[in-house]
Amino acid sequence: MNLAVKRWAPHTLALVGLLVLLYPLVWLLATSLKPADQVVTSLDLWPSHLEWSNYTTALEGVSGVTVTRLLGNTLLIAGGAVLGNVLSCSLAAYAFARLRFRMSRVMFAFMVATLMLPHHVVLIPQYIIFNQLGLVDSYWPLILPKFLATEAFFVFLIVQFMRGLPRELEESARIDGCGPFRTYWSITLPLTRPALITTAIFTFIWTWNDFFTQMIYLFSPESFTITLALRSFVDQSSTSAYGPMFAMSVISVLPIVLFFFVFQRYLVQGMATTGLKG
Amino acid sequence: MSEPHEGRRRPPRRRSVLAAAGAGLGTALAGSLSACSASGDSAGSGVTLTFSWWGNEDRAARTTQAVRLFEKENPRVRVRTSNADFGSYMQKLATQAAGGGIPDVAQLDYRQVSQYAGGGALLRLGGAVRDGTIRTAEMGADFLRTGTYEDEQYAVPMGRGITGFAYDTRLYRKAGAAAPEPGWTWQEWAEVSRKIARLRERSPDGRPVAGANDGGVNEDVFEVWLRSRGGRLYASQTRLGFTEDDLTEFWTLCDELRKEGAAARAEDTSQATSTETSPMGRGLAAADFTWDAPFPGYPALLGDHVHFAPVPTTGGKQGAYFKPSMLLGVGAHTPHPGEAARLVDFLLNDPRAGDILGFSRSTPPNRTVAARVAKTLKGAERDIYRYARRMEEYGLDAPPTAPPRGDVAIQTAFNRTYQRVMYGLASPREAARELIDEAKRELRS
Amino acid sequence: MSTVSTEAPPGADRTDGPRRSHAPKRRGPRRDKQWPAYVFLTPWMLGAAVLTLVPMAVSLYLSFTDYNLFEAPSWVGLRNYREMLTEDPRYWRSVGTTLLYVVVAVPLKLVLALGAALLLKSLGRGRSFYRSAFYAPSLLGASMTVALVWRALFNDGGTVPDVLGAIGINTGGWVGNPDLAVFAVVLLTVWQFGAPMVIFLAGLQQISPDLYEAAALDGAGRWRQFVSVTVPMLSPVVFFNLVLEMIQSFQVFTPAFAISGGSGGPADSTMFYTLYLYERGFTASHMGYAAAMAWLLLIAIGVVTLFLFRTSRSWVFYADEEGR
Repeated sequence: MNLAVKRWAPHTLALVGLLVLLYPLVWLLATSLKPADQVVTSLDLWPSHLEWSNYTTALEGVSGVTVTRLLGNTLLIAGGAVLGNVLSCSLAAYAFARLRFRMSRVMFAFMVATLMLPHHVVLIPQYIIFNQLGLVDSYWPLILPKFLATEAFFVFLIVQFMRGLPRELEESARIDGCGPFRTYWSITLPLTRPALITTAIFTFIWTWNDFFTQMIYLFSPESFTITLALRSFVDQSSTSAYGPMFAMSVISVLPIVLFFFVFQRYLVQGMATTGLKG
Repeated sequence: MSEPHEGRRRPPRRRSVLAAAGAGLGTALAGSLSACSASGDSAGSGVTLTFSWWGNEDRAARTTQAVRLFEKENPRVRVRTSNADFGSYMQKLATQAAGGGIPDVAQLDYRQVSQYAGGGALLRLGGAVRDGTIRTAEMGADFLRTGTYEDEQYAVPMGRGITGFAYDTRLYRKAGAAAPEPGWTWQEWAEVSRKIARLRERSPDGRPVAGANDGGVNEDVFEVWLRSRGGRLYASQTRLGFTEDDLTEFWTLCDELRKEGAAARAEDTSQATSTETSPMGRGLAAADFTWDAPFPGYPALLGDHVHFAPVPTTGGKQGAYFKPSMLLGVGAHTPHPGEAARLVDFLLNDPRAGDILGFSRSTPPNRTVAARVAKTLKGAERDIYRYARRMEEYGLDAPPTAPPRGDVAIQTAFNRTYQRVMYGLASPREAARELIDEAKRELRS
Repeated sequence: MSTVSTEAPPGADRTDGPRRSHAPKRRGPRRDKQWPAYVFLTPWMLGAAVLTLVPMAVSLYLSFTDYNLFEAPSWVGLRNYREMLTEDPRYWRSVGTTLLYVVVAVPLKLVLALGAALLLKSLGRGRSFYRSAFYAPSLLGASMTVALVWRALFNDGGTVPDVLGAIGINTGGWVGNPDLAVFAVVLLTVWQFGAPMVIFLAGLQQISPDLYEAAALDGAGRWRQFVSVTVPMLSPVVFFNLVLEMIQSFQVFTPAFAISGGSGGPADSTMFYTLYLYERGFTASHMGYAAAMAWLLLIAIGVVTLFLFRTSRSWVFYADEEGR
């Protein structure tokens, strides 16, 4: 008896937690199938009948741009961001974690401090810079910063990870005549793989969900991302289409759900070996 | 900002310190990267215009179609379009204005005109209007004046809207109330609202139905009330046109009606962001003060027994007026002012463009176009067109010029400050004093 | 920025520290070998200078000006700061709301994340499934759709007030109630506890089973094992999560923006610091004032972070420092 309780208690608890946590998602899914007049006014969980036309409307896209195109654009930006963050953040992290240079303390402190500045106030100065560079109305303002390691969170994360790696391998590589670049590329980077995967997954999800930057920098509907298109469904100054909006938000989440379910085991592995020692 | 703008000495154009800082660093990188830029007019001998607006899918589809027609007529001109929801659009346009310039042609809100014109973001259109590049003969002179700032034309109205009163005829009949007629008064409105509250009807979620939405959060309702008593919101670009007593009286009326259940409850009012989420849209109130453009949302949501009527008056004096629901402006930095003006003219006056655009931006300001399109209208849209005609016949005061720059902030402050009354955090007089203090601070700048 | 300088760059720490003794001393003075570091840092330095340092400097400058986004900024000295601290009651209300949020949301989220991580660890089969499912809410971010769902769930007649009513707690709708709306925002962020959960889970997996075995041999029960093994071994991860969640919570913006439609309502009850900053800067066009707000926030977070680092010395247990 006692043994059975011990065995089943965690599962029961997990199941209850699951129901509570996933209830809003179920609600979202159910609402995406509600007929227009029930979307906002009805508080029932289940629709009276399934309104699949919400999905067909959503799949048509926005402003003549198909959902496929929107998803493709988002994928392109997220892919560029992932590549940029992994590359540039690991480079910077390697210097902070392994190399000696003047002002390293000051630079590291500055890097951490950038986590603390509300990004709304640097928005306009950044916009002006990109405008001067002639890069507004392109994907560069969304991707280029990632290649310049501006996301301190990930630099910090990878630094913490590299601190936990044994130095012996790198030392012996050096004795074998490897320069710092060979060492970084052939020794440290492969060992850092779990942290890089973590960086990649978080970057992908966060870029996918980002709305603000995309809204500021993108002009033509052909270049829009799925999150931008989602907004167009609800314009408060005219009659809105809530049903298709919910349908589209389900569609927009599917790729990251798939992405996450495929890569999540690496995520936890990555974290597990990450030396998160404050 | 602390003094009238023409008094300050400043660099000829707004290449501000900010821009200079950006430019210094920018040019270092620009050489290698500017080739990647997606914008520009490099497409052969042609000209590329940018044009942006806010609005829903239907408006986007119609506008794009009209723009394609313009391109067909003007083979040398290409138009790149962009649209967003209202909130995003406002933020984006402000960022663009601060960071290098708004699009060549941009849709503007009435409340933005002074800010953008005064800040040098808009091109003067007086010349284009006088030489007929932008034809305005079919538009009332009074109405055209809504796009002026300091007596200079900066924007041209693109749609004409008017406030009205959406109400549920069934509930009105049930309460034994007469249908609102032009000239009905605020007292009559308050009485009807109380009667409906006494019916103790139940909304779909089982709560009592109020007589109307609470207009206390809405600066537009206050303006209509104020104008019906001969007042006005702004005396000038820097001064309010009403007193603490005026506002206290208005908010006291709203406060009482809400406490009696004749106006919607605080928690429902504070959550209203659209037709669907407003107390009336949720079946919690029998009526709502609203604009003509969003009105068709109510019959679509609630049924054809919802009608559109004039707002109450003070002794027969109507406070509503024809307001530009949106305007078109030309960016101050446009390299192609001529083509931009031609696009503006095409969208406003070309009969085929008029047919395509329809009533997607309220009533077209060009009378001929409006009359032509009106023949095709059905249902709720025909109702609001007829309503506007009726109000023209009833007689309305001329609209004021575009509100001062601080109005955007004052409008949000109006809503927020009355919410403090709704939740019992301030008395109507305290709140009125708070709002006036805040408004004065906004107007001084 | 100097406020965080106690955060020792781990690289410097390592090379200057005990490691030096067993490092091969084959090369000349290390000073000569600085240039590779700068090569590695080139992208970061470029980004930090152009996209961070310059905008930060500009915003610092703007904080001493009156700037309406349209015209050149005009110098006003400390006026923005003075107005903020002495004449603006909404500023202080936003500070209070934000502090309330930080104090409630951070511990709640961390406790839940830790609880979920411990629960996942104790699950055998199906762990991977539950892990994904627990993370699922965090995949959504705080979009407008999520906000609509949230408002529906916490409204009058929504699921949450109904369920609470059924067990005798009559709250009414949360979203329209100025006393409760802030907690609806808190619960939205707490609901998305996936990231710290994953980090806790990783920390738990790092604790060597030997330690638990040793404790069990000493006769420690489950609770005792938790207190004397799990808690100290996990403290660095707790610290990491605490610092990052704290920094993020002070800057809470998106969930409140989404739920209130940007208004911070009802009656300013969800007007958090950054939301007010945004309203001042972009809605009311007082960008100078907004910049001043940003700098005070930066300083405040810096001070709190510094304080956390100071206290951490007494409660965070570093395994690799045992020998020192």
